[in-house]
Amino acid sequence: MSPPTSAEPSGAPAIVAERLHKRYRGTTAVHDVSLRVHRGEIVGVLGVNGAGKTTTVEMIAGLRRPDGGTVRVLGLDPQRDRARVRQVLGVQLQDAYLHGALTVAELVGLYRSFYPHPRPAAELLGLVGLDGQRHVRFEKLSGGQQQRLSIALALAGAPRLVVLDELTTGLDPRARRRMWATVEGLRDDGVTVLLVSHAMEEVERLCDRVVLLDAGRVVATDTPAGLVARAGATTLDDAFVTLTGKQLEDVE
Amino acid sequence: MSTVHAVAARRPALRSWLVLVVCEAKMVVRDTAGLVVPVVLPLLILVMSAGSAAEQPVADGYTALDVFVLPLVLTIVLGTIGVINMPSFLAYYRRTGVLRRLSATPASPAMVLVAQVVVSVAQALVGLAGALAVAFGVLGARPPAHLAAALGVYALAMAAMYAVGMVVAAVAPTPNSAVAIGLIGFFALGALGGMFGGRSTLPPALAAVGEWLPFGAAVEALAAAWVGAPVDTAHLLALAGTVVVGAAVSAAFFRWT
Repeated sequence: MSPPTSAEPSGAPAIVAERLHKRYRGTTAVHDVSLRVHRGEIVGVLGVNGAGKTTTVEMIAGLRRPDGGTVRVLGLDPQRDRARVRQVLGVQLQDAYLHGALTVAELVGLYRSFYPHPRPAAELLGLVGLDGQRHVRFEKLSGGQQQRLSIALALAGAPRLVVLDELTTGLDPRARRRMWATVEGLRDDGVTVLLVSHAMEEVERLCDRVVLLDAGRVVATDTPAGLVARAGATTLDDAFVTLTGKQLEDVE
Repeated sequence: MSTVHAVAARRPALRSWLVLVVCEAKMVVRDTAGLVVPVVLPLLILVMSAGSAAEQPVADGYTALDVFVLPLVLTIVLGTIGVINMPSFLAYYRRTGVLRRLSATPASPAMVLVAQVVVSVAQALVGLAGALAVAFGVLGARPPAHLAAALGVYALAMAAMYAVGMVVAAVAPTPNSAVAIGLIGFFALGALGGMFGGRSTLPPALAAVGEWLPFGAAVEALAAAWVGAPVDTAHLLALAGTVVVGAAVSAAFFRWT
C-alpha cells in the first residue's frame, strides 16, 4: 500500500509531518510546516492565536486534508488509513461540543464503545475529577467541566498518541494542575502527546520539546531550555518574544 | 514492522451501534417538543376532524375518517418526524461540532445518521400506534382492507419523508435554518398534499403538483390501500422517486462540519 510506512521500524516516530501546507480562501494558514515527534515524547505546539497551531494538529489528526505535504501517524496516513489511525489516536478538539442532553456517564459509555480496548469508565472520570458529575447532562456542565470531559473522552480508547488542543485553557488552577498530572501519567505509560498551548508554564513543565509557530511557519524547534538559550533569554516568555516578536499573553 | 500495523482496521462493534441508538433515543426523548409534536399534533387533528368525518360515508362502509382523515394524520406523523425533527437534530450536531468530534473516533458520523433513522422510525411507530389506538378504539375507524398494501405504502412513505429530511439536513447551514426549512417544507408539502381541507380545494394545477409530491402521494396511496382499491403506480413511483432523488441530493451535499 504505502512503501515508506510499511518499511519503518517499530522505533519509527509517532508523528512525521513534512512540509504541510493549508490555505483557507486565499489566506495561507499553515506554510511549509514540518515536525517530528518520537514515541513517548511530549511535544508542545506554541504560538499566538492565528499562528496555525490548530490547523497543523488537525491535519496531523486527519481532521483536515492538507493542501500540500504529507503526514504519517505511527507510520500510517491519517487520511488513507483512517480507521486504523482512529483506533490509536485520541483527540481533544478546541470547542467541540457533545450530545447536550446526554449525561457524563452516558457520553463516556458512548465514546468507550467505539474502541476495542477502552480504559475503564471510572478511571477516566477519576483522571479528570468528574466522578461527582456522572449524572449531570453535558449542557449543564460548566465550561471547565465540559473541557475536562472532552479530555477524558480523548483518552477513552487508551490511545498511544493523544492530540490535546488547548489542554487547560479556561480551567481553574486546581483543574489545570490535575490535567498536568494526567499528562504526566500519560508520559509514564509511554503515550505520545502533541499539546497545543499558549501557556508558557504548561509547556515548560510538560514538554520535552517545543515547536514554535508564527504566522503559519515553524520559527524554532527545541527543548524549552534550548529555546531560552537560543534566544539568549532568561525565561521561555522572553524567548518567545525574541523569536516571534510577539507577546503571547497580550493576544488573548 | 511497526507494531501499529497489527492494528486491524476494525469498525466499532455491533454493541457500539446499539449504544449509539440508545443515546440518540435519549436525545429525542429528552427533547420534549420534538417528542410530543409528532405524536400529539396528529392526534389533535384526528380528534378534531373525526366528529363529522366518522358520520360521512364514502364507499363500502368506509367513512371520510377512514378514507381522508386517517391517511392524512398518519402521513403527518411521518412528515413531522422526517422533515422537521430529524434534520434539526442533524443540523444541531453539525453546528455544535458533535459530528466533527465523532469523526475523530473510529465511529463514522454516518453511524449517527443510521441511529437517527432507527430512532425516528421507532418514534413514528409510536405516533402510528397512538393515532390508530384512538382511531380504532375511540372513533370507530375501520382497519385497512389491504393491510399488507397499507403497511408497504407506509414504509415507502416513511422512506420518502426521511429522504426529504436528509435533503433539509444537507442544505441547511444552521440549526435554526434547518427548523425553518423543515417547517416550511413540511407545510408546503402538506398544503399541496391536502393537509388543509383536501387537494380538491386547491387550484387544479397545484392539486396536480401536490399529488406527485411525497405528502400528497402518500395520502392518496394510503387511502387507496385503506379502502381496498388498487394503489396507483404513479403514487408509488412518486414516493420511490423522492427516496432516490433525496438520497442522491443529500449524499452529494451533506457536510459533516
